[in-house]
Amino acid sequence: MNSLPFSPGVGAVTISRVADNQWHAIENDLVVGRGHASRRLDGRTFLSIDTWRDAVFDRLAAAMLADLTGPLHTVVDETDRDLTANWERAGLTIWRRESEYVVPTRPIAPPAPSGVHIVTDVAEPPLRELDQAIRDEVGSTVGWHTMPAEVLPWQGGTRPIDPSKYTVAVRDGRYVGFVRVATRTRRPRIGLVAVLAAEQRRGIGRALLGHVLDGLHRAGVEAATAEVDETNTVATALFEGIGAERTGRTLELITGKA
Amino acid sequence: MPRAAGGIEIEGTVVECLRNATFRVELSNGHKVLAHISGKIRKNYIKILPEDRVLVELSPYDLNRGRIIFRYRT
Repeated sequence: MNSLPFSPGVGAVTISRVADNQWHAIENDLVVGRGHASRRLDGRTFLSIDTWRDAVFDRLAAAMLADLTGPLHTVVDETDRDLTANWERAGLTIWRRESEYVVPTRPIAPPAPSGVHIVTDVAEPPLRELDQAIRDEVGSTVGWHTMPAEVLPWQGGTRPIDPSKYTVAVRDGRYVGFVRVATRTRRPRIGLVAVLAAEQRRGIGRALLGHVLDGLHRAGVEAATAEVDETNTVATALFEGIGAERTGRTLELITGKA
Repeated sequence: MPRAAGGIEIEGTVVECLRNATFRVELSNGHKVLAHISGKIRKNYIKILPEDRVLVELSPYDLNRGRIIFRYRT
């Protein structure tokens, strides 16, 4: 097959903002690069650029950063050094690192701590109450910057909660911790493990995870996935303690002040 | 209206996930290419696994390389 001769320069390239969130790099009436910005429900804006030429990347990045305001984010696979270097050249810096884990399922769940039982028939009102209590604790302690995108507070509106995705730890009739698992994906994903601060360090998180992994194993699932912020040493120890294997790491880069 | 450079988009199947954020993809014509995922896919945390059917945009500079721009639902 034939291919175009490589030309590293960007002599005749022009950058056009073709939509509110899209930019094109055009050369000789051809689109040689695309930039895209998307605003997530938590209010953060994430950028992406696709082009085969670094010089075009630089031009697109410069145009996008000039057009947009506020802190801008992007995500890069840690092993993709070229792309990381491109974004750093544009002025973004590494803000956080998130490890990706494959979590093997197992047939036996560890026992729940004394006085705690694990339930899967979850009622929405107390679940929503626990969810809010945990969000308040995160907001007033470690903050949201270490949290994966899906648990960040929404801007406007109420985050929907689907009780069927949750397994909950109950003490004296009160919900004290939960695990949320998305099972409709090809490989189930452990989206969130959370225990009230006053109930932590008692094995509740481990019991919740064990219960979920036991259930997945019985359903014929061999492994689930999870992501953990690298500064979250408790979650890292929890997952690695149950045999999770780190399979990769994602870098989140940011420009401006968060 | 400008058109896409290269413009070669072809379906394929992921046969191997490699360590350096790339994938080996067997195209529908039998040709195998090394492909990385597009920024939009990465940004949306879409996971690519072996046996996934994907749409690959081939590099106009090296037709042994490509970019995964879409993952079909299985």
